[in-house]
Amino acid sequence: MMKNGFFFFIGLLAAFVLGWSSIPLLAHKQLGALTPFYDDGESSSFPTRPPGVAARGQLVYADLGCAACHTQQVRRPDFGSDKARGWGDRQSVARDYIFQVRPQLGESRIGPDLANWGGRKPPVDAAGIAQFLHSGVVSGSKAVSHPPFPFLFDDRPVVGEVAADALVGLVEKSSRRQIVPTERARTLIAYLQSLNNAYEYPEARHVAPAAAKEGAHK
Amino acid sequence: MSSTSTHAEVTAADTAGRWPVLLLLASGLGWLVISGIFALIASIQLHSPTFMSACEWFTHGRVSALAETTFVYGWSANAGLGIALWVLGRLGGSTLRAQNWAVIGTLFWNLGITIGLGGIATGDATSFALLELPRYVQPLLVVAYIAIGISGILAWSGRRTEGTYASQWYAVAALFLFPWLLIAAQTMLLWSPVRGVLQPIIDGWYVQSVVSLWLAPLALAGAYYAVPKITGRALPSYEFAPLAFWTLLFVGMMTGGRHLIGGPVPAWIPTLANAACWMVLFHFTVVALNLRGALTGGGTSLTFISFGLLAYLAGAVLDAVTSFRGVALVTQFTYFTTAQQQLALYGAISMLLFGSIYFALPRLIGRPWISGSFVRSHRVLSMVGIFLLVGSLAVAGLIQGTELINAKSTFGEMAERTRPWLLAVSVAQVLLLIGNILVLVNFLRSVCGLWCSGVVSEVGSFRQPTTMEVHAS
Repeated sequence: MMKNGFFFFIGLLAAFVLGWSSIPLLAHKQLGALTPFYDDGESSSFPTRPPGVAARGQLVYADLGCAACHTQQVRRPDFGSDKARGWGDRQSVARDYIFQVRPQLGESRIGPDLANWGGRKPPVDAAGIAQFLHSGVVSGSKAVSHPPFPFLFDDRPVVGEVAADALVGLVEKSSRRQIVPTERARTLIAYLQSLNNAYEYPEARHVAPAAAKEGAHK
Repeated sequence: MSSTSTHAEVTAADTAGRWPVLLLLASGLGWLVISGIFALIASIQLHSPTFMSACEWFTHGRVSALAETTFVYGWSANAGLGIALWVLGRLGGSTLRAQNWAVIGTLFWNLGITIGLGGIATGDATSFALLELPRYVQPLLVVAYIAIGISGILAWSGRRTEGTYASQWYAVAALFLFPWLLIAAQTMLLWSPVRGVLQPIIDGWYVQSVVSLWLAPLALAGAYYAVPKITGRALPSYEFAPLAFWTLLFVGMMTGGRHLIGGPVPAWIPTLANAACWMVLFHFTVVALNLRGALTGGGTSLTFISFGLLAYLAGAVLDAVTSFRGVALVTQFTYFTTAQQQLALYGAISMLLFGSIYFALPRLIGRPWISGSFVRSHRVLSMVGIFLLVGSLAVAGLIQGTELINAKSTFGEMAERTRPWLLAVSVAQVLLLIGNILVLVNFLRSVCGLWCSGVVSEVGSFRQPTTMEVHAS
């Protein structure tokens, strides 16, 4: 086989085809046709499609590379501290992502998981998120905990009234200037607020038999 | 080095076919330096988050993508292809054919990467790990790669020898498999994207395949060629080499699912990866047995190859251990996975490639490396740098992992505890960058000697093999 070029080539092809069909194709067969779950009790189906502005915000999230530090996948309650940290009451399941154009699972937690960030308690309003993205400082704290992204904001003169979403407390009133979120910042904020997968699908219910608990204890 | 191995030190095939190879190696080393600058910026941002964050082009996400892309598609691809073409040309027994194709392909490949890096910096990245290059350069990369590969494939199909060698199998496998992988990934992720979590599943498969079926074979092709040549001995346990080769090819790409443990994917994917990680250890064992001669030899090439070999083995064992759920509970999502990635890409693949380059260049240009002190400095800097880089990342990762498990610990505390280790990572990146600048300068100056003195000395230094190698002491 190693001497005959033709058989060698067939071997390479077989390795590729086997690898490709064993993961991408098999996974696609299993998940490719996943549909939303219709709940008779609520007369609606889940997950819901994200609003258009949030879908555009996901592209901003992707192009800034936010997934380099933030995951969007909650691990099940007995596997890690995700639930205890308030990132989600149940583990993320494949159905959560079917309407996302570019799912941002991420593989690094330098910052917190954001899968349910829009539903966190207490909620942060749009102005608060804007302030945070601009300064990188959580309100009430002094240390920088996130890289500041001033490029998501316009520093422009006030014409007429001050814009409704202008950041407060950053420029002196007399300067007649204001710092306003750009279109991209607004979509990104809408996206972050839309992140919330609270609905409990049948496959997401946590089953904790005695054996599983023992496993978690180890 | 025994005297028998010195007869064919420089063949006509080397002299006639050297320009495409030199172009590939020079581009590779150039990208390596650029990648080091990006990696340094990214590592500084980990302990000083405000560093360059006001510049949209260099958010941490983008600069990490730039560093990774430059490293894999710039450095590893160019250098690996250069070595593969050289090895296939030599073992084929005739002058490299289709050299124009290889040169044009290299130019367009590097043009594609340059445009793509601009695209990543300005926000056109695709958000898939190792496939960040924007959609609009992806087809160009496929075509350029095929153009480069033609040379190697012709050398393989027109070989004049009866038998074949392990370095040929690995080189040819890399040449054929990468375009298939890239086209499959592009189709399923960029042109006709699959839905939902299938995207990360397929991307994970692609990332692993790039390492196992493309970069590792390219690096091994050079090592399998250089080790017996330098030691002057046949490879031990060589009869197992074909089996090890096919094990890597058939099982290697199934190990990628270990990054999805506990994620929103079918459980069989990480389970399959766990089993595959242990099965593929057979490949690593045989490679270690085959190349163990490198560990006892002196000389620059063998030192790099030994380091690379040990890192290759250590990486495989770490991958297998962290593919267990209980271990991944701590190491997943932390710097520990970054450490494993750096161990594979830098410690194993790059060091093996350096070893091959140190072996190949004197034979390509017909004279030894111009500066022995640069070679020695590069060797020390890369070995210390990689130890420091991988070690500090691993420790930082374990700290981060234990902090993450403890729900009461905040991200501020975690950043504070990992900070000293992340500073060490930056130091390591500086050392590696200096070392890589040295090797680039040394390479270019050595090659410039071809023009400056005009004539390649066919005799002289060539018959004195010791001058071809810059020795360890």
